[in-house]
Amino acid sequence: MDSETVIMFKDVCMYFGGLKAIEKLSFSVEKGRIFGIIGPNGAGKTTVFNVLSGVYIPTAGEVYFKDQLLNKMPAHKITGSGIARTFQNIRLFNDMSVLDNMKVARYGHIQYGVVGTLLNTKKKRQEENEIEKDCMEVLEFLGLSSYAGSKAGALPYGLQRRVEIARALSCKPEVLLLDEPAAGMNPAEIDDLNKLIMKIRDHYRLTILLVEHQMRLVMNICDEILVVNFGQKMIVGKPEEIRNNQEVLEAYLGKRN
Amino acid sequence: MMIQYIGIYTIFVLGINLVNGYLGIFSLAHAGIMAIGGYVSSLCSMYFFKESWMFPLSLLIGGGTACLAGMLLAIPSFKVRGDYLAIITLGFSLIIKSALQNIEFVGAARGLRPIPNYTDLIVVYVCVILSILAVKAFIDSKYGRSLLAIREDQVASELVSVDVRKIKFVAFSFSSFLIGISGALLCHLLSYTNPNAFGYTTIVDGLIMVYLGGIASISGSIIGAAAWEILVQSLRTIGTWRWVGGGFILVLVMIFLPKGICGNKEITIKGIREFILKAAAMIRRKGERGKEGSYGQ
Repeated sequence: MDSETVIMFKDVCMYFGGLKAIEKLSFSVEKGRIFGIIGPNGAGKTTVFNVLSGVYIPTAGEVYFKDQLLNKMPAHKITGSGIARTFQNIRLFNDMSVLDNMKVARYGHIQYGVVGTLLNTKKKRQEENEIEKDCMEVLEFLGLSSYAGSKAGALPYGLQRRVEIARALSCKPEVLLLDEPAAGMNPAEIDDLNKLIMKIRDHYRLTILLVEHQMRLVMNICDEILVVNFGQKMIVGKPEEIRNNQEVLEAYLGKRN
Repeated sequence: MMIQYIGIYTIFVLGINLVNGYLGIFSLAHAGIMAIGGYVSSLCSMYFFKESWMFPLSLLIGGGTACLAGMLLAIPSFKVRGDYLAIITLGFSLIIKSALQNIEFVGAARGLRPIPNYTDLIVVYVCVILSILAVKAFIDSKYGRSLLAIREDQVASELVSVDVRKIKFVAFSFSSFLIGISGALLCHLLSYTNPNAFGYTTIVDGLIMVYLGGIASISGSIIGAAAWEILVQSLRTIGTWRWVGGGFILVLVMIFLPKGICGNKEITIKGIREFILKAAAMIRRKGERGKEGSYGQ
């Protein structure tokens, strides 16, 4: 595996008034890795994702995607340039069909403009056909093609999670941010998800960042894990190192008297 | 005359529907936008384009000016949402109206007359068909999808690479263009206009037609415009009471069809065929059951 750095945080701080959600956080992620971010509740895990995907503008520090500085880029441009994400609380477009959810996510890659749209040019129709075909392929890959026409909001919870991943893939990302993809799943479902994430990584050659509470998943699939606590980096290391680290145990379970 | 009204209001409602329906932003600017479109094109026809074949030019200039106003209106929608945006857009409509009432050049409260009577059935329906085709193409594109996505979850749309500001900008300008055109057609149909034609009544009429017909639907826009116009005109015989009657019918429709007559749905040829087939199958089944019943006896 080559060691090209894809994501880099350099002393990033994110303050909300007096609350220091992230304080001087630095880490980097190499291409093709599955990088886990864990920590107790309120440690700033999701804030890392929000800073990375452009929802928040960091108070200080620098965020890089390859050699692009992301700090002041608007969210849609960040996504368009190759970082897609899912949400902790599923945020699909519930009234739209699964296929339309996928198509919306193609926005950043569509060439035709307003004039082409209004005149309904051949180029526009061709592009629309291609998009439909591409999106169906992604759905097929995730085993969702039979739900293409169903309303996203009408699907059961587990499938909605899957559609969210599909929608993120539809943005044609290089980096995929998964925010608690296993929340509310039982062990069998988690094992499925485990396989799915590996499959996606290998097929689309992605770098994956994963925020998760389910240790079963994190320990299984992550190449590297970052532990954050109170917005600060605690330790970065391989799953085995994390499992046996005294400080991490203390952060989760409290100090032994 | 009523047929022409229906056509003009169809364009008007299509325009409103783009922002209020598809984009889900409660805007009340349509009266002001319509006034701009109507006044600008009327002035053009009165002073510059005095031949009837030049009418398309003044139509386009009216629509274009309205479109510019729409672009301005899109800017507050980036930050402000919900009720506050409704107030801002309402303010816009009222400002336009009182400005027209006080500018001597456009006749102040007396309004403009005589505006050349260029609007006829053919012009109206050519415009209607063009608008329907354009809106249809717009809705079936990345723009249309993004409108619906923004209506459901603006942050999520932004995070799947939708340029929310651009989409709002485009939607507001296209919507205002259509509303401007409808205003221009209306002024050239009536041969006169005054600021009172673009007051609260216009705002309310526009909203009623959109929500009666159904939001986010092209067929809904046509049905809404036609239904309300026919209702208002046919109740004319009962004088002022028609507003009571019309309102009452509106309440009934909203109780039994809360999404409007065809909200979020389209009437298509395919849909109609399926409906007929389904109905036929049902009748046949009923008939067979009837026969079985008679055998049983």
